[in-house]
Amino acid sequence: MLGSGTRDARRTERYLDGLMAADERHAHDVPVDTDLDPAVRSAARELRAGLNRVHPSFRFEDALAARLAEGAIRLRAGLPIEEAAPVSGRGTVSPFLSRSVHGTGTELPAAAPIVSAVPAAAAIRTRDTWSAAAFRRLPEMGSRSSRPLIVGGVASAAISIGAVYVAWRYSHPASGRMGRAARAAHGRTGHSGQSRRTGVINGILGVVS
Amino acid sequence: MSRSVLGISEQGARPARLDRDRSLVEAARRDPSLFDALYRKYLAQVYSYAFYELRDHHAAEDATERVFMQALVGLPRFEERVDAFIASRAVIDPVDAAASSDMSTFRVWLFRIARNVVANERRTDRRRPSSSLDDAAELSAPGDVVEAVATREAVGAAWQAVARLPEDRRRAVILRFVDEMSTAEIAAVLGRSEGAVRVLLHRALRSVAADLAAGENSGRRGQLS
Repeated sequence: MLGSGTRDARRTERYLDGLMAADERHAHDVPVDTDLDPAVRSAARELRAGLNRVHPSFRFEDALAARLAEGAIRLRAGLPIEEAAPVSGRGTVSPFLSRSVHGTGTELPAAAPIVSAVPAAAAIRTRDTWSAAAFRRLPEMGSRSSRPLIVGGVASAAISIGAVYVAWRYSHPASGRMGRAARAAHGRTGHSGQSRRTGVINGILGVVS
Repeated sequence: MSRSVLGISEQGARPARLDRDRSLVEAARRDPSLFDALYRKYLAQVYSYAFYELRDHHAAEDATERVFMQALVGLPRFEERVDAFIASRAVIDPVDAAASSDMSTFRVWLFRIARNVVANERRTDRRRPSSSLDDAAELSAPGDVVEAVATREAVGAAWQAVARLPEDRRRAVILRFVDEMSTAEIAAVLGRSEGAVRVLLHRALRSVAADLAAGENSGRRGQLS
């Protein structure tokens, strides 16, 4: 058994349905439920006449359509839409690709992500062949084992240190027994290592000592 | 007599078949650039909802942009949410079931996003310019001057009456009159039962009727004095 409030609410709903349907078929006659309060019917007609749907400006419509199209391109490339606004010079996170990624285009990159100053447009081109899922899982890739850039950095540092050591050793004669013996042998000829090097340099430069 | 929507689902019918926008949604999910069709279809509806709620064109534009951006990003998750939506409305009566067969679950989902975005906008921005009413009248009544004046008065009266309604009644009225949603769709957007929405609308109309009557009485008193 419905209460009177529920019954009235259902009557109102039926009247509103009839009002909307009459508008759709451009008809003036609306089926009237005489049990429905005339004031409610009148209010419904007022709201129907007064609450019109409004449209934004075409300029806004086209601008938003362009932004959505740009967002769609980024989504297809697996990029987040929040970065859609082009910001020149801003660095983006770009993972270091392993061979497996190039091979199938679907496997996760096996290397750690690095932060590089790749412009957004270039980043899109780089990631075109990746799946969106692979890109979204970037944070997980930080724990992977291969770190080619770090290995390269250590190697170059080692080479530099080695070169400095060799130069230092060349300019500082050894103080051990073998060094002293070598200096004694050179001393008999009247040439120390230092003076010999100086002579060679002066000879190259054409300086007469 | 009641019928379970979940029952339909258990018999093998997919809930997404209810959606009259299904082909557009599927196309947009395959290729996000095809989201444009859905955007053009629902732009005015979403914008109108935001405009009547926020009463400011610029705020409505901002909200509309956020709604469609969120919809574009969230489209891959849309079907899961439809399932949740259907499950939340497990038991409905035959009349409502008939109404549901024509409803767009995508539109419901889109307006749920709009409801959240607009609610956030209202919380963060309390600007309520009074000039927007004129904008609404101009937009809705181009052309004939007499008709424009009549429409302006109608818009003004309706606008003020709706603006005085409590929040939940106002939302229901806007969704019903501006966006022409069924009771079932409004219930889904607002997260209420259909019975509750019927009562909301009925009470809203009674409030508007009382408001309009009070306005007419004060107008007559003004003319006499």
